Amino acid sequence: MNLEQILLDFSAVTGIAGREEAAVALGAKLLEPYGKVSVHPQGSLLCRVWETDPDAPHLLLDAHIDEIGFIITAIEEDGFLRVAGCGGMDRRILMASPVVIYGKQGPVYGVFCSTPPHLTGGGEKKNLKVDEMYVDIGCTKEQAEKLVFPGDRGTLYASSRKLLGDTVCGKALDNRAGCAAILYALELLKEDAPRCNLTVLFSSLEEVGGQGAKTAAYQVNPTHSIVVDVSFAHTPDAPRVKCGLMGKGPMIGFAPILSHSISRKLCDLAKEENIPFQTEIMGGKTGTNADQIASTRSGVVTGLVSIPQKYMHTPVEVVSVADVENTGRLLAAYIRSLGREEKQ
Amino acid sequence: MTSLIDLICELSDIPGVSGWEDPVRERIVSLVQEHCDSLHTDALGNLIAFKKGARRPKNKLLLSAHMDEVGFIITHIEEDGLLRFANVGGIDTRVVVGKAVEVGPNRLYGAVGSKALHLHTEKEREEVADLEKLFIDIGARSKEEALEHVQLGDRAIFHAPFLSVGNDCVLGRAFDDRAGCALLVKLLQSDLPWDCHFAFTVQEETGCTGAAAVGYAVNPDIAIAVEATTASDIGGVSGNKRVSCLGKGPVVSYMDNGTVYDSALYRLAFEVAKEEGIPCQTKSLVAGGNESRSLQTAGTGARVMAVSLPCRYIHSPSNMLHKQDVEDTYRLLQALIRKLGNFESA
Repeated sequence: MNLEQILLDFSAVTGIAGREEAAVALGAKLLEPYGKVSVHPQGSLLCRVWETDPDAPHLLLDAHIDEIGFIITAIEEDGFLRVAGCGGMDRRILMASPVVIYGKQGPVYGVFCSTPPHLTGGGEKKNLKVDEMYVDIGCTKEQAEKLVFPGDRGTLYASSRKLLGDTVCGKALDNRAGCAAILYALELLKEDAPRCNLTVLFSSLEEVGGQGAKTAAYQVNPTHSIVVDVSFAHTPDAPRVKCGLMGKGPMIGFAPILSHSISRKLCDLAKEENIPFQTEIMGGKTGTNADQIASTRSGVVTGLVSIPQKYMHTPVEVVSVADVENTGRLLAAYIRSLGREEKQ
Repeated sequence: MTSLIDLICELSDIPGVSGWEDPVRERIVSLVQEHCDSLHTDALGNLIAFKKGARRPKNKLLLSAHMDEVGFIITHIEEDGLLRFANVGGIDTRVVVGKAVEVGPNRLYGAVGSKALHLHTEKEREEVADLEKLFIDIGARSKEEALEHVQLGDRAIFHAPFLSVGNDCVLGRAFDDRAGCALLVKLLQSDLPWDCHFAFTVQEETGCTGAAAVGYAVNPDIAIAVEATTASDIGGVSGNKRVSCLGKGPVVSYMDNGTVYDSALYRLAFEVAKEEGIPCQTKSLVAGGNESRSLQTAGTGARVMAVSLPCRYIHSPSNMLHKQDVEDTYRLLQALIRKLGNFESA
């Protein structure tokens, strides 16, 4: 399995929250070798990987497949578009960013703009809010109305590229990197006999509240769950205490909402298997799908593993391929251990 | 034959930050050398061409366009392999954060990263980042690894796609002023009514240095700077604040922040445009500036005019040009050359 290529391809496709179809189509293709694939009414992708004794544990392995973007709210008289964030858009990076909008007849290109500095008096430079900006698609209102409709989504135009060493750079590595780690785990397990019930969920709508994971987890009704997401890798402008380090392995989450025994077990397994790991300690909720899944139905024993990522929610997100691979190894080790436990 | 728009995009794709215009010049040389009567590169790196026309003009004519573009220069490499940089030319820091860049002659891919928005205070979200705190991440894990690929002083450009926008526009990097270069290349490749000098200049964005040397060496009677200028005809901006508008033809200036232009030439441009049925506009604000300031005062001086393409979002990764403006600017330049060879004014 060429994990680097999967990361590049998976981050290049688009799946803005609520419009995950293109990413789901690639996800389905990548998951098909491992089990029966289906699409949930809320847009999430499910794959039933192992089916065994109904009394054995049922693990739900989740990574969200949606990405942040923007949604068109209005077409102004002069043909410029008004937009709102669809997920957490970083308004500091928008100005002069090229964009692609998925319009009714296909992609429409444009650029984020705002009143230029020479007209704002110079001194009052600040980062504008998303609703103070426009998207310029080079059209009059009449032309624009033929191409786009309020409710259409768009993203910042981005390339998926390899950087030096084992790092890759692109948009939507939050959280296609998580999806890729799960695919890698499935590849490691493909010769194994089923040890537990195993369902993979590439969930929709995480960036706007986690509705995809909530509804799919209800349907799957698992006993256990591991959520795979990305978290902050340290850079000089960030507080060290809130960050992991890139290249130092998966970040194992500890938080009140998470199962302490799963968190501990993940650490033990990483040590046993010589997988580099770090911990990520959170005081309350995790801000990930783990919050949703843990409180599904009568409760699910849930863990969280995060891949360190730099520059989250920008078109230049960066992850290390080795971190993704080690995350996959840790997931495979956990799945094997879950099967073992039940046999004893 | 390559269309003007294709030629603009081809030239714009070449990195050519001020002081490092060589790859642009090399490409232009290959495009024009068989069409020139003389062609040479001067001490600063300016490319100066002469082409005989049907007749010898009364006024010595020079058309200039600058080859350089705004960008970045690598100033320091941190122990952890991150690159520190400074701007070359005027760039609004707000268009830099979160952008992909290409570093050095091999166009090494990198990112101007910034910590995730989740880690920002409300104040940090409002405030424009300090350029000195930004860095380029090329994936190197150490200074030593970075130094295998990057040298201090290397230039960097925005990584930017060239995209068709709307029915009539094109989006991309460095149209300021490869658009002007492309127009001059096309003129050089055509038959001219008068002998003309052409200059592809260096270091406009850092002080119009190249044009000063060209003006001195060529010593023209009339010099036309062909460039791209601010169009602010965007959402929320109305009236004269728009400076110039896309789709309304070439911009001929009476005055900007660097130059008061020759009045007779300014009036002539509008007369010629009217005669030829070419749309033509002027700047509705005194804004911007170009190398006319250097051409005007070099040696014994020259009468100057600026013919500009209206361009949205200049000095960013996403310049926007209107295709019709490109065609109209080319036609106006052709018509002006016809008139200027024997132009006399009171």
